[in-house]
Amino acid sequence: MTERTGPIATHEEARGDDGTASPKDGHQRPWIRADGQAKATGQARYTADLAFPGLVHARLLLAGRAHARIRHLDTARARAVPGVLAVLTAADVPAGRYGSFDFILDRTLFATDVVRFEGEVVAAVAALTPEIATAAIGAIEVDYEDLPAILDVEAALEPGSPLVHEAIADYGHDPNIEPQGNLASRSTIVKGDAATAMAAAPIVVRERYVADMAHPVPIEPHSVTADWSGDRVTIWSSTQVPFYARTKTAEVLGIPEHRVRVVVSHLGGGFGGKCDFHFEAHVAALARACRRPVRLVLTRREEFIAPDKVTHAMIVDVATGVAEDGTILARTARIVLDSGAYASDTPVLGQIAAMMVAGPYRIPDVEIEALTVYTNRTPSGSVRAPTGPQSCWAVEQHHDVVAARVGLDPVEFRRRNLVRDGDEGPTRQKHEGDGAIQTLELAVERARAGGPLGPNEAIGVASGWWFSAPGPSGAFVRLESDGSGRIVTGAQENGTGAVMGLAILAAEELGMQPEQFAITYQDTDVGPYDGGSSGSQTTFNNGRAVVEAARDVRRQLLELAASTLEANVDDLELADGAVGVKGSPDRRVTIAELASTAHEGALLLARGSGQPPASPEHDASACVGRLGFESFASPTFFCHAARVSIDPATGVARATKVVAATDVGRVINATGAIGQVTGGVVMALGNATLEGTRYGDDGRQRNATLLDYKLLTSADAPDIEVVFVENPASNGGPHGAKGVGEPPIVPTAGAVANAIAAATGARVRRLPMTPERVWRAITAGDDGAGERNGPFGPVREAVAAGSGAAP
Amino acid sequence: MGEWRFAVNGEAVEVEAPGMRRLLDILREDLGLTGTKEGCGEGECGACTVLVDGAPVDSCLVPVCQVEGARIATVEGLATTSSEGPVLDRLQEAFLEMGGAQCGICTPGMLMAARSYLDSGGGPDEVAIREAIAGNLCRCTGYTKIVEAIAVAAGGPG
Repeated sequence: MTERTGPIATHEEARGDDGTASPKDGHQRPWIRADGQAKATGQARYTADLAFPGLVHARLLLAGRAHARIRHLDTARARAVPGVLAVLTAADVPAGRYGSFDFILDRTLFATDVVRFEGEVVAAVAALTPEIATAAIGAIEVDYEDLPAILDVEAALEPGSPLVHEAIADYGHDPNIEPQGNLASRSTIVKGDAATAMAAAPIVVRERYVADMAHPVPIEPHSVTADWSGDRVTIWSSTQVPFYARTKTAEVLGIPEHRVRVVVSHLGGGFGGKCDFHFEAHVAALARACRRPVRLVLTRREEFIAPDKVTHAMIVDVATGVAEDGTILARTARIVLDSGAYASDTPVLGQIAAMMVAGPYRIPDVEIEALTVYTNRTPSGSVRAPTGPQSCWAVEQHHDVVAARVGLDPVEFRRRNLVRDGDEGPTRQKHEGDGAIQTLELAVERARAGGPLGPNEAIGVASGWWFSAPGPSGAFVRLESDGSGRIVTGAQENGTGAVMGLAILAAEELGMQPEQFAITYQDTDVGPYDGGSSGSQTTFNNGRAVVEAARDVRRQLLELAASTLEANVDDLELADGAVGVKGSPDRRVTIAELASTAHEGALLLARGSGQPPASPEHDASACVGRLGFESFASPTFFCHAARVSIDPATGVARATKVVAATDVGRVINATGAIGQVTGGVVMALGNATLEGTRYGDDGRQRNATLLDYKLLTSADAPDIEVVFVENPASNGGPHGAKGVGEPPIVPTAGAVANAIAAATGARVRRLPMTPERVWRAITAGDDGAGERNGPFGPVREAVAAGSGAAP
Repeated sequence: MGEWRFAVNGEAVEVEAPGMRRLLDILREDLGLTGTKEGCGEGECGACTVLVDGAPVDSCLVPVCQVEGARIATVEGLATTSSEGPVLDRLQEAFLEMGGAQCGICTPGMLMAARSYLDSGGGPDEVAIREAIAGNLCRCTGYTKIVEAIAVAAGGPG
């Protein structure tokens, strides 16, 4: 195929009379994912479905309190329960501390001395039945001395605040950050001299926005099964990052990586909640102790509180200096992220939040700091586009406020300030293409085409950007003796179809059809390394690896054909399953014939690892806390326009139409890309209006059930129009592709917020924008940012306690 | 312990279990039909939806003593078999064609809720379909493609 670098090509999902998508090129053809039939027949096995002879069942003892010292822990009674095969605590595993990506080594496998959040693992049991395991958990005796729960991030930063980690000074950490007290990390994004520019700006707008914690909520809870064979362990885990899970399991159990195999059966969704390393080592240790295969499946309540991977609660204090004509002159901001009890990967996410609060806007002078702060909550982490939705929601509302202040229409304000081709980013990276403006114009045009607005109805827009994540990733491509193909990859399929779509790329290089490929994936003993289904990176990185390997097989095929056809390689063409001599239709040999020949000699086999693109050139010399996101590689630009109807009597804000326009560089798999956008928008609408974690003053979550933590249902979801803009990245993924999976969740909440403000005149500066908050903003002018009990506290304890009391 | 007799996907079964054992566990653990999934165990997510005498129910909330003599239908019973492998019913085909399954964990429950809707005469009307599957949560798709797939299976334009 030829790469297209010409003028903007807009792919839209046609919503014609027949309701079908309109195929426009090879990547737009109807496509049925290779794992589809197994999933539609119930034959697809997920981790919790796997059966093993002799399988026994694990349960975890979770702390059940936010902050306490363990005075005494006694497992004797639990061990004595008939049918109990193993009971493990910190005393039974190596004592070393670990941390996500080694940012801060603040964790241990089991609680030692202190529990720091209600979901902290204190002990683990393996027993013949789940019921016995549960009974044994109840028989473990723990004597706690409760400590003050640290729940307010701002109070946690005050001198003299109680500490989440008393021994923080002794923890190992990344040299680029300086953990101190409850401050886990501080990162800044700085360009020019924002203080001077702000002082000179004729108009300055300062605001505060506050977002509550939320959850990824994959429908499949975490599950892990481990089974030892001699000194090697195989772990079937519902992880998005099998290689990382292997590394950490080996590290904490003190065994070499080659003796740990992590296999993902089918994965029932992740959304970032299954990134990182969670329970693999606990279950492996149990299985080793009882010499039986052991399975752990979390309950839904445990899935809420224990997997230390939730959407950050955040405070965004943002100020913008602006000229009378609406030109942005300077941006300063202070972002405080609630890291929860452990740092997880939050330090780097603070840096990302700072980049997001700068946004894809032309801002000459920038000074943004992001603080990540320990509290006694479930640890936050890389949930789908981590920090993106909250940051974008805050800053895009702020932009509407600034626009109003200078008397500009919000769209016109963005038109004047969004980056265009050649403009500088917040650390002077040079932007490619006009995707930011193009997506704005398209989203607004389509949203306005929906007919006149009713009373209490308005359209809000929000623009933004998100990075692609270059990283190492490998794949093998081989042809079988009948000419069918196989991709062997380390990549992880979390449901997006990104791994299934790799066949499209291989087929294209080899003149074959995607259906002719089988894919072997998500097994660390088999495929080469990949970073997992995180950071929208599968197509971007593994796609490049597959293309490289397929091109190598293509070269091998052509050389073999040159010999068979007695022709020069340069005179050959490979298409439609055969190699032929150009201009001589009779001189051709099929791939199947070549593959059959090859299997008598050299194999048609190749590897690819696709050199990860370098970060764009930038200047981060004035930034501190640099952890790798001082620039955004091959950023995806987007704009969502939401048409929202508000019932002023109840505060219910209902999106009836969302137009999602995204510059993805190049659409590789239209079915998959459209699916990511529609799913992202609905998840984002849940985050916008429903999904927020409610905590009691005791630091325990009050809505850790799907009865009380509501997701959008099919009946709630609006009409979603998906529009793609293609500005291929010069140094991006295959054919110029950029990340697709995370961007769709980023701007929707901001668009909804701006629609609420436009329709009612009331601005809600607290996320989620629940009916109660919208109603209070309309009726009492309370924007929610200063809600009582401090940031992230319960809205109304009486209401919260009545609806989700802990068992 | 009690002995319970009912039919699963047209086959008579007899199981010995405590009467309050969840139908979900009977299907998954005792009968090995793991196509039915558990997402929450509290009747909120719909991943464990099966049909009991044609009606969609959350099998995590149904004790086995309540299905004595009933006809149970699970996702495993939708397709028929042939020497080439499973022959999908129209609803399953439509899910694949439209991209209605991503991670697939909600798919069995969605299919059963949709099957019940179609069997009770439901048509391609979008609002009616959305209402029919409102008890089944999906975190991947945003529902659009699932709704379109059911509409196609209901004879709507494909």
